[in-house]
Amino acid sequence: MVSGKRMPAEFSASSIFPRTDWSELGRAGEADEARLDRLIRTYWAPLRIFLVATFPSLKDQADLLLQDFAEDKILKSGWLQRADRRRGKFRDFLKTSLRNFVLDRLNRAEFKHAPVSLEELAQEPAAAEAPSEAFDLTWARTVLAQTLRRMEADCKDSSAGQPRRGQIWEMFRLRLLEPVFEDAAPAPYEELVSRFGLRSPTDASNLLLSGKRIFKMHLARVIQEYAEQDAATAAEIQALEEFLDRLAKRG
Amino acid sequence: MSEFDSAASVFQGQPKSLAALLEASGERARLWRPDELGAIFRHQMSAPVLVDLGGYDPVTAARLKVLSDAQSLLLKSFSDLFHHPAPPLELLELTKDFAKANMEQAESSLPNEVAAALYYTSIAAALVRLGARITRLPEAELRRGLLWTREQAWLDEETKQLLLQAAGKIAPPDGGGGVKPDGPVSDGPSDGHRPPLQRGGGEPAP
Repeated sequence: MVSGKRMPAEFSASSIFPRTDWSELGRAGEADEARLDRLIRTYWAPLRIFLVATFPSLKDQADLLLQDFAEDKILKSGWLQRADRRRGKFRDFLKTSLRNFVLDRLNRAEFKHAPVSLEELAQEPAAAEAPSEAFDLTWARTVLAQTLRRMEADCKDSSAGQPRRGQIWEMFRLRLLEPVFEDAAPAPYEELVSRFGLRSPTDASNLLLSGKRIFKMHLARVIQEYAEQDAATAAEIQALEEFLDRLAKRG
Repeated sequence: MSEFDSAASVFQGQPKSLAALLEASGERARLWRPDELGAIFRHQMSAPVLVDLGGYDPVTAARLKVLSDAQSLLLKSFSDLFHHPAPPLELLELTKDFAKANMEQAESSLPNEVAAALYYTSIAAALVRLGARITRLPEAELRRGLLWTREQAWLDEETKQLLLQAAGKIAPPDGGGGVKPDGPVSDGPSDGHRPPLQRGGGEPAP
């Protein structure tokens, strides 16, 4: 099953998200360390959920442990080489690494006299499904929040020299974001025409379509930072849609 | 500046909101609500012809400007064009092509209903004002399209009247008079067999 050639993203049995194709990962070590550090800090919230779900008794130390995890030199040293395809997708790699990191720390002197034994902690995880779902949902939220933050900054970047870029964000906010998140009625068409000085319906639609394209572009970029390959990124977006859709239907 | 905090909304939002965001941002999601079609059509009718048709190749765009300028300031908008007593045929054809192109694109900038209304109104204007037929749609199909457009509640009365007059010039299904195609046949909507027109579908054979 494992070959040296490029393979499409695969779905792991343990998660709804596809496996990352690691075969072409091989960037310069220094840049990789910075990248992993940034990714850990970006996905802090889902990692914290995983840590607390896996080691409930370490809840109060979760942030401290994650901080140490993010700064761990051994983890960062050659992590791309160690994170081979057999380890699955990036999130599985992070979870396994974090779990091993915590167990390793518990083995060290300062944790030797902890109130809970190492054996107990190692066998602590119980409800596997719910924590995994909470982890995936928080991960999806982080991805979407990052996407929207970048989109807004991109659209409001005055140095880009595109005066209508700001209008694209406003249109996207009024027509998509506020109706979706605030259960508000979308701003009426006539209001948009006068607000943005739209010359025709084509002009109006183009503004809205541009917003959708910029959103999609940033969504792909955010995911590509950890999924790497274009095919894996597309599969990850699809998996994210299906996962959220499933949760939404369940209510 | 907006007070909207998108990241906070995402973290507070329910999965159904997150799913709705992804769905709404999809290419196939409808841009405008059905109850906005009237406003969109009115806006289209008042839009400068050159704004929408100016996107053609430089030669066509230049020709378009000549045609519009030839009518002085009378042809500033699509409404001016359709209700002009003698609109330039070429301009009506370009408008029909623009509408048709919008009907055929999945990610069109015009709602399908509005594009269809623009399409049939340009044909109607050619029939009524110039006695010319700029489509090769079969008569029954054309008649059905004109009447379907006329029945849209969001359409203005003046355009409805134009469509009705045009339908009167088409031979009814049981035969009778009507305008026959003159000169080379033009095209029909690629899926013009049943209004409201759907995007995609087969083009009538030339």
